[in-house]
Amino acid sequence: MASLLQPDRVLYLVHGEKKIRSSLSTLYFCRYCSELRSLECVSHEVDSHYCPSCLENMPSAEAKLKKNRCANCFDCPCCMHTLSTRATNIPAPLPDDPSKTAMKKAYYLACGFCRWTSRDVGMADKSVASGGWQEPDNPHTQRINKLIEYYQQLAQREKLERDRKKLARRRPYMPLAFSQHTIHVVEKYGLGTRLQRQRPGAPITSLAGLSLKEGEDQKEINIEPAQALDEVEPLPEDYYTRPINLPEVTSLRQRLLQPDFQPAGASQLHPKHKHLLIKRSLRCRKCEHNLMLYYFSVRIMSIPNLRFQKECQVLLTLTNPVESITHVTLVGCEEGDPEDINSTAKVMVPTKELVLAGKDAAADYDELAEPQDFQDDPDVVAFRKSNKIGFFIKVVPQREEDGDVTVSFKIRHDFRNLAAPIRPSEEDDAPTEAIWLTHHVELSLGPLVA
Amino acid sequence: MLRRIRNRLSKKLKSINKMSDKQNAQKSAKIAAGAVVCVESEIRGEVTIGARTVVHPKARIIAEAGPIVIGEGNLIEEQALIINSYPENIAPDSEGVEPKTMTIGINNVFEVGCMSQALKIGDNNVIESKADLGRNMILTSGCIIGACCQVNTCEVIPENTVIFGSGCQRRVQTERPQPQTLQLDFLMKILPNYHHMKKTVKTTSAVTPAKN
Repeated sequence: MASLLQPDRVLYLVHGEKKIRSSLSTLYFCRYCSELRSLECVSHEVDSHYCPSCLENMPSAEAKLKKNRCANCFDCPCCMHTLSTRATNIPAPLPDDPSKTAMKKAYYLACGFCRWTSRDVGMADKSVASGGWQEPDNPHTQRINKLIEYYQQLAQREKLERDRKKLARRRPYMPLAFSQHTIHVVEKYGLGTRLQRQRPGAPITSLAGLSLKEGEDQKEINIEPAQALDEVEPLPEDYYTRPINLPEVTSLRQRLLQPDFQPAGASQLHPKHKHLLIKRSLRCRKCEHNLMLYYFSVRIMSIPNLRFQKECQVLLTLTNPVESITHVTLVGCEEGDPEDINSTAKVMVPTKELVLAGKDAAADYDELAEPQDFQDDPDVVAFRKSNKIGFFIKVVPQREEDGDVTVSFKIRHDFRNLAAPIRPSEEDDAPTEAIWLTHHVELSLGPLVA
Repeated sequence: MLRRIRNRLSKKLKSINKMSDKQNAQKSAKIAAGAVVCVESEIRGEVTIGARTVVHPKARIIAEAGPIVIGEGNLIEEQALIINSYPENIAPDSEGVEPKTMTIGINNVFEVGCMSQALKIGDNNVIESKADLGRNMILTSGCIIGACCQVNTCEVIPENTVIFGSGCQRRVQTERPQPQTLQLDFLMKILPNYHHMKKTVKTTSAVTPAKN
């Protein structure tokens, strides 16, 4: 299996639109099609929104309202890490008796990475740990909201006119309300691009709230056009001669992360709420079901020194993740196999079928378990440990070049689909039928040793 | 006559011995009373450690090319290395090289695994884990050198500067880092329960070692 340090030594071939070879940790498996899928042959959908620091899940509607930001967590405006709340004790006069002072807790935000604190920009300490921090208001919010309303109204009006034109061509007995179910409406002004991807026939529910009922008067929203000014504020006189205070100047990244204000000075950098991340749901494009992670894995255990044209034995392990016995056969790639493009060495795989015991969760604790009786050929099977098996393959490197020695073969194993719907009892098949799956595997064994 | 010569010779020998003893005594560390220095730490050369300083086990303070003077209230954590070493282009045995003293002020924190060769460190600085300070740096006060930052320039770092990030970005903070008094008190109580301490020397002024 791929690990953080050894990412791509065992690659599986995926038969999708493109032939992709990647390691098992990035692949998915569709139980209904019984095929491997990679990230490129699946369709992504937004499943839910969550905050990466407090892990709070939010439904999509709420996320849209809050502009995809978390309500509790803040980002450092200086280094974009998560801010943490710290408390100090300050003496404060008691409300009853102004002459006595008691220690009260005051909270401020601080970044653990760059040591920025909310006191640097002049934000006063709050007396509540969370919820007391406000983002500064954008001075242009009102104008922007008014503009958005006006343009949304304009878009609705245009859409109604378009529908009315279409309706005039249609048969006259169709009710007017049906016009809302037209699919190929391209909405302007940001009412959602998801509409374009919906499948034909499905009603567009998000527009239902915006539709006007017949007979209601539309509110006329008038906006003033933006006025161009002739006079611009002149630059201050010492603009060219004043020495730059470099720590005070904000970097482009810091500035552009706050598009409302784009402050030029570091003392105006206020923290922003943390951006939410998306959890994706992946669907197989052919059968529209959700995918699962593939689990049947081959690992490279130990490699001896690979020498050119000399045969050596490589130890591989196979792990069986299901609880039933699995049979695995390895088949070498034939000459002229169209999938076998990368191998630089000949491989001799064991011809016998390997049997893997099922995963027994209680095996560690059960001392009276009988040892399983598998007759193993000691040339082929190195060791066997509950649901793992180690076996040898022989590798003869063919090409004397600088790259890694690559070896490919096919694995054939049986797979029981426990999640498939049970067929009606007319057929006499066993409820769990085994399917034989074949995968093309490529192993990268490392460089040649001279 | 011979006896007189012998007596004079023996007196001279004794005085020479005393002088060399004094010189030898200065080669070991001078630890002020109130400092907590664990036996497992490695202190080599002429090192003076001020009161209320805590040196964790496996910390190393090595004074090769000159003495090191450490002030009060400092916190030197495990595997920190404070070394006054010869610059690379000068061989250790060449003559004419004056030993330069490395001075470290008060209330500094040397976190785990950091290495400091800077000759002059002021007060209230924090050198975070695995940071690396070159010999030609001078830290003033309130500076924070972030984790894994290697700073090897020849400059004086202004007050209250924070160096952070993989690109060693800098910014200035408005207040200096707080002295770690709570942590120091806690350690001074707990460390003696689990480690042996090096012996302290009662000195009236623990600043410069007296020379003959």
